[in-house]
Amino acid sequence: MEEEGKIKIEQRFPNWSDLLKPITEKDFKKGIYHYPARKSDWEGAPLPPVYTDFNPLEKDWHLPEGWKETFLSKMDEFRKKYRELFVWMDICVRCGACADKCHYYLGTGDPKNMPVARAELLRSIYRRYFTWQGKIFGKWAGARDLTEDVIKELYYYLHQCSQCRRCSVFCPYGIDTATIVWIGRELLTHIGIGHRFSLISIAACLRSGNHLGLSPMGMAGSLESAAEDIKEITGVDIEVPINKKGVDILFVAPSGDYFATPHWFTLMGYLMFFHELEERYGITYTWSTLAGEGGNFGTFYTYKCAQDMNGKIYKEAKRLGVKWIIGGECGHMWRDKHQFMATMHDIPDNLEEPVNPITGTYFENAKSTKMIHILEFAADLIKHNKIKLDKSRNNHWKVTMHDPCNMARGMGFFEEPRYVVRSVCNYFYEMPEHAIREKTYCCGSGAGNLADEVMDLRMRGGMPRAMAIRYVHRLYGVNYLATICAIDRAAFTALLKYWKLQPPVMHGGIFELVGNALILSDEDKERELDLRGEPLLKEEEVKEAVEEVVTAPTKEYVCELCGAVFTDLDECCEHAEKEHKIAKAACDMVCGEKR
Amino acid sequence: MIGYLFVGLFYIAILIFVVGVLVRIFNWARAPVPLNICTPLGQQKSLDWLPRARFDSPYTKWETFVRMLGEVFLFRSLWKNTKYYIETQRQTATKWLWLFAIAFHWSLLIILLRHIRFFTSPIPDWILLLQSLDGILEVGRPELHMVTILVTNLTILLGLFGLLGRRIVGAKERAISLPSDWLALILIIATVGSGIIMRYFWAVDIEGVKRFAIGIVTFNPVLPPLDLFFLTHLTLVSALLIYFPFSKLVHAAGILFSPTRNLPNNPRAVRYINPWNPPYTGISWEEYYEMYKDQLDEIAERGYKVGGGG
Ligand code: HEM
Ligand code: SF4
Ligand code: SF4
Repeated sequence: MEEEGKIKIEQRFPNWSDLLKPITEKDFKKGIYHYPARKSDWEGAPLPPVYTDFNPLEKDWHLPEGWKETFLSKMDEFRKKYRELFVWMDICVRCGACADKCHYYLGTGDPKNMPVARAELLRSIYRRYFTWQGKIFGKWAGARDLTEDVIKELYYYLHQCSQCRRCSVFCPYGIDTATIVWIGRELLTHIGIGHRFSLISIAACLRSGNHLGLSPMGMAGSLESAAEDIKEITGVDIEVPINKKGVDILFVAPSGDYFATPHWFTLMGYLMFFHELEERYGITYTWSTLAGEGGNFGTFYTYKCAQDMNGKIYKEAKRLGVKWIIGGECGHMWRDKHQFMATMHDIPDNLEEPVNPITGTYFENAKSTKMIHILEFAADLIKHNKIKLDKSRNNHWKVTMHDPCNMARGMGFFEEPRYVVRSVCNYFYEMPEHAIREKTYCCGSGAGNLADEVMDLRMRGGMPRAMAIRYVHRLYGVNYLATICAIDRAAFTALLKYWKLQPPVMHGGIFELVGNALILSDEDKERELDLRGEPLLKEEEVKEAVEEVVTAPTKEYVCELCGAVFTDLDECCEHAEKEHKIAKAACDMVCGEKR
Repeated sequence: MIGYLFVGLFYIAILIFVVGVLVRIFNWARAPVPLNICTPLGQQKSLDWLPRARFDSPYTKWETFVRMLGEVFLFRSLWKNTKYYIETQRQTATKWLWLFAIAFHWSLLIILLRHIRFFTSPIPDWILLLQSLDGILEVGRPELHMVTILVTNLTILLGLFGLLGRRIVGAKERAISLPSDWLALILIIATVGSGIIMRYFWAVDIEGVKRFAIGIVTFNPVLPPLDLFFLTHLTLVSALLIYFPFSKLVHAAGILFSPTRNLPNNPRAVRYINPWNPPYTGISWEEYYEMYKDQLDEIAERGYKVGGGG
């Protein structure tokens, strides 16, 4: 930790009764607390008509008249509307299995960031007003009064959760603090307390169809310049259909993909992929400017926001008369498309059960929503050898993969991306097991935490992830972090730099790698650049580069705990794991180069 | 006279327990689960040739049922536990919590089942079998005197003191432990303790206990033997029964209602219905067209496409 020298994690555990005491605005830390919503955004979203104009650092938050009654009556309503809230308020045994699973707790050391403590913020109110034990025994039953300070504390800590659901993996009852936080945030909106970053995007999306507030021509212009970039690199003219009726597929991607970098290269990958399918197999697709956003910031804000935001996708699928829908690479978007969208809306009857017309594969797992992931589709095509790939074009990348929280724990999406990555590049390395798949660590910036004002929180929360990347970077020379999430692609730019990993470790989507490897049928010149415009490695250079990685660690490594010497860092790590119970992820703490 | 008090207490405790738990369950069951929020912990079902985690990411009802069995009887989620050392950024698997929890719960289950011997006559064979399996451990000098130590008596103590110890030793656990958490553990330790004392150190009138127990279940009350340890045990059990529905101990029933675990990971294949789904109030194409008429018309004029070298 010292070498970065910026983060200091202090841990101090209060006793149970101090833990019940709310913090106040005086304890709010810069870089950790979020900015409150603006009135115009509030009004642009389907929220209750009680906007509170407050400054988090001031004592008086100007809560609306009767806020306490409103809050409690809503809480009562919600426990009867959300069984999960009701059950989870009652059954947590405070075993603490979830405690050190939260990256925000690990990064800040703040005991109230333990998932169980985060849920207790609401649970203590629940006990006080909805159970007789709490009414009679008060504090001794773990109950506390609802005061203005408690509201402040809720605001502070409910927004220090990225709703990654990692805590839910380890809880013996599956208590999902993310869901509790979701409902908690909605409760706050009923007394007018809002979150700026989320609401800016929500309001923009409800107005324009995408989080960024791009107009239709703005989006079209973006797609056009991506097509130009592709032309420059591959020499192929690519046509991008927009709002086109009567095609087979509606394609929906997160808006970050056609706006930000490194998302941009992923967008180029999508466009090339669909172009190839049309050239070779006559499959037609379209973008929609109204359904120009797959992401859904409502999914971590309120039910109603989520609903009004994802409705447009089915509406457009109907208006355009497509057969089914494909979605791009985005994390929370897929939590929404997988678990929320079809419950919130009727499925238009022009949609058909998705069958890949090229391979005949029937996507039974999406037979109701009629929406599949582009990587499910691509994996199927690759498996059946229906697209031509040249893996060596990704030889300059040594790839590792970050599972986005929502793809992992909201959908169970692990093998499709891995299959595709392995098919399009030669060098793929996994991060340590406690940091991938269902145990994956958040990038630290999910669920509205991508806001700039919480940079400290983000860098701290991203620490466990950064450590795991550093591990594979040091061990295998990994220099590409593949991630199928638009938030990640934005978040890692700051995170990797902060942890001194970028450069050399770059990050981007898997479709960027697909775009690199994909051999277009109408491509007649040899490619010299990858989608980023970086030169591809020639055969000999590849060999050298690989050898460099393989031969580099001929130095000696020594285990600092017992002095054993190894010629291979890997061996030293294995030794450390076996003999000293040091997880491989943290091996660099004990295995150093021998001087 | 005092005997009647205990009969009354026990009946009331049983009544509160049964009604209390049922009310809890009824209240939970009445609340809808609006969304399928299953937490898949393994590969979803998608392409046939991808290896899939049947019981971590169940697709059918049957697979979900197996997953729940794993949770209830094996505590699979706790099995996955890891520990993170913040100071050194290390992370290791840890099974202590799982071990103590499973030792305690399984022993408790077997001990409760063994109690059936007091309430039945004749005693069912499988209870006797359970009893003898439990008693494989014998200590003492064979030629003099042998004592059968029930394995579950040891393991439940291991489990209980392990769980208690965690809360004392672990800084995190200490901070989140409320008085009620200590109460639950201490109540159970006391109950278990009084039982163990009766078994090994304090001879009670077993015949009398059995008559009392049978009297309870046949609604033909017989007074309990007035024995210090037996009455203590009975009081503690009653207290536990009364406490159960109003405390975190209802997790035993609540786990069955936890939607992250009891729903299949198939919301894209089978539509999940929310009974209170509000109507859509978001933007419509007409409103959108009104707002961006010029630009949308321009896209139409271009033949609904951009790029293509044109
Ligand atoms: C379906 C049945 C049950 C399941 C699946 C279950 C599961 C669990 C699990 C996983 C834990 C967390 C680990 C721990 O803190 O020990 C726990 C804790 C606990 N359970 Fe259960 N349990 C069940 C029934 C019961 C019953 C019937 C009782 C008792 C009367 C009970 C009493 C406790 C207590 C006191 C704790 C807390 C231990 C502590 O404070 O550290 N459980 N249970
Ligand atoms: S793991 Fe579950 S039961 Fe244990 S403290 Fe966390 S939320 Fe509560
Ligand atoms: S959902 Fe993630 S961020 Fe939120 S409390 Fe759980 S582990 Fe922490």
